[in-house]
Amino acid sequence: MIYIVTALPCEASPIVRKYGLKRDSCRHFPLYRGDGMCLIVSGVGKMSAAIATAYLLAYDTGLGQTGGEKGLAIINIGVCGAFHQRYPIGTPLLVNKVIDHETGNQYFPDILIEHPFEEGSLETYNHVVRQEDVLSGRVEPQADLADMEASGFFQAASRFLSPHQIYIIKVIGDYLDVVDFDRQRVAHCISGIMGLLDGFIKGVEGLCRVEGDVLTPDERQQLEKVKKSLRLTVTQSHQLMDAARRYKLRTGRQLPDLTEFTQTQIKVKAEGKKAFERIRRLLLYE
Amino acid sequence: MSKFSHIYIEERATNYPVAQQVLKRFSDSKRVIIRHYKDVFNRPHQDFRRQKASTKLILAVKPEPFLYPGPEVCESFGNQNFYYTSPILNCIYDCHYCYLQGLYPSANIVIFVNIEDFFGAVDRQLEGGTLYLCPSYDTDLLALEGIVPYASRWIEFAGTRQGLRMELRTKSANYGAIAHLKPVEQVILAWSLSPGEVAQRYERLAPTLKARLSAIKAALQDGWQVRLCFEPLLKVDNWQQIYGKFLDEVFSIVPAERVFDANIGVFRMNKEQFKRISRLRSDTDVFAFPTVCREGGVVTYEDEEEMREFFYRHLSRYLPQERIYG
Ligand code: SF4
Repeated sequence: MIYIVTALPCEASPIVRKYGLKRDSCRHFPLYRGDGMCLIVSGVGKMSAAIATAYLLAYDTGLGQTGGEKGLAIINIGVCGAFHQRYPIGTPLLVNKVIDHETGNQYFPDILIEHPFEEGSLETYNHVVRQEDVLSGRVEPQADLADMEASGFFQAASRFLSPHQIYIIKVIGDYLDVVDFDRQRVAHCISGIMGLLDGFIKGVEGLCRVEGDVLTPDERQQLEKVKKSLRLTVTQSHQLMDAARRYKLRTGRQLPDLTEFTQTQIKVKAEGKKAFERIRRLLLYE
Repeated sequence: MSKFSHIYIEERATNYPVAQQVLKRFSDSKRVIIRHYKDVFNRPHQDFRRQKASTKLILAVKPEPFLYPGPEVCESFGNQNFYYTSPILNCIYDCHYCYLQGLYPSANIVIFVNIEDFFGAVDRQLEGGTLYLCPSYDTDLLALEGIVPYASRWIEFAGTRQGLRMELRTKSANYGAIAHLKPVEQVILAWSLSPGEVAQRYERLAPTLKARLSAIKAALQDGWQVRLCFEPLLKVDNWQQIYGKFLDEVFSIVPAERVFDANIGVFRMNKEQFKRISRLRSDTDVFAFPTVCREGGVVTYEDEEEMREFFYRHLSRYLPQERIYG
């Protein structure tokens, strides 16, 4: 599952179109869904980005309660300003360092896959940065790019996810010299990277895919039944799963038939403990 | 993505000669300037396994302390004042059972570039008496010699210090990288060995047993003191047969009479680390045999003592008992 956070509707629209995402009924944010993808429009500013990101990851994925699904990644996509003219307008950069201008804190996504982008650093400000701020020395750039969301996005996302599941792609929209904000130009910048973005998303999905459990769904189901009928404690349940996995890794065989234990009705705890010990021995020593 | 695609460099580390050497060696890597290595190394929720497939380098300046008292689970070989030091964190090999997976939050390799400060700390310690030092515990210095020549730096340093005894532990076959150095009385080259099939199965990326034995033979011929570390002894099907044959193989190549000493260590690990690692490594059966948690929170095999006895008996056919530790 790929989650996308953009600040503005005009940054979202080329992505919504490309992936055929449909508007969700969410009351709190503009939210769009499609096959294996969910996009939220956060609004401008790092606080807004943090709130939308946390909302998405806590409520939509179930990570908030259960630890949830792991095979996911989140990407902040948007336009930004560049402090230098090394790259032309429209160039997408994958951010390898985010600096929060106000706190000075630094954040680092883990870039573990090949990708088609240039890489660069990004400083997130609470306010719009203009060329004259830099020229006058009011702003001393610490990075290649400037935006207003990434540090909030990253901080919120890293509460829930590993750094290899969090990405920031910024397209250079200007050299901090914009006078009139032009939605179409912004949308054009994002449209221009859709081909590269698509390939990147596939790579990220591959990296974040959850490895299969050694236990088959049937085996897991049977073990769940055993846990229930023997009324195992949380610790015993963990031990049972652990012993079952070890058994399979060690012997390379399917789990032995545990039906007998799924039919036992336990009246006192001691009986459950005894039966549990039998299974454990069976799994560890056979 | 390739190994060392990125090098993270603490700002203050940039001008150290070691940093310059590494940056020159990996001139194509992306460079990211950082304030403190922990900003990268200690990030929450890092995925050790996935990072192993695309390890990054971090160049940093280590603040005090530089020396740590030797841990109790490690053999001191009868030496007083046993300390270890970590000029590098993490390793280029990927042993299934490696305790570093449970110890560090990241698989990235940290190189502390202020090696002179480490040497200074050793000198200060030596003012108070002798020192037995292990600088290759939380890494494999010889394996990393091609990236940063710390094995040779430590050897050269030790060669000029009285009262210092140093063990350089390795699984590397990279003896050629230090073969130009004169053997140093203060230094013991210590090779960790496992049966060929065990190494192949559980010591990913580490050299084969044969390659390690050739390196040992060459080192002995050049006059180095060589220690053989038979640890961790791992439980595998038919372990008696496998470990028995293994010793025959080792001593068919390595002249036993020239071996300085040896130690035996059945697999054991701190309980917390064991828990973390076995959760992380559902892809291996290395922890699949029954274990127990002994007093002091150390996890080992239920029949640890039997394994040790068996191996000790076989090893003492080749080495006198006073040269066997553990
Ligand atoms: S050689 Fe040692 S430090 Fe390196 S991976 Fe193997 S066990 Fe870990």
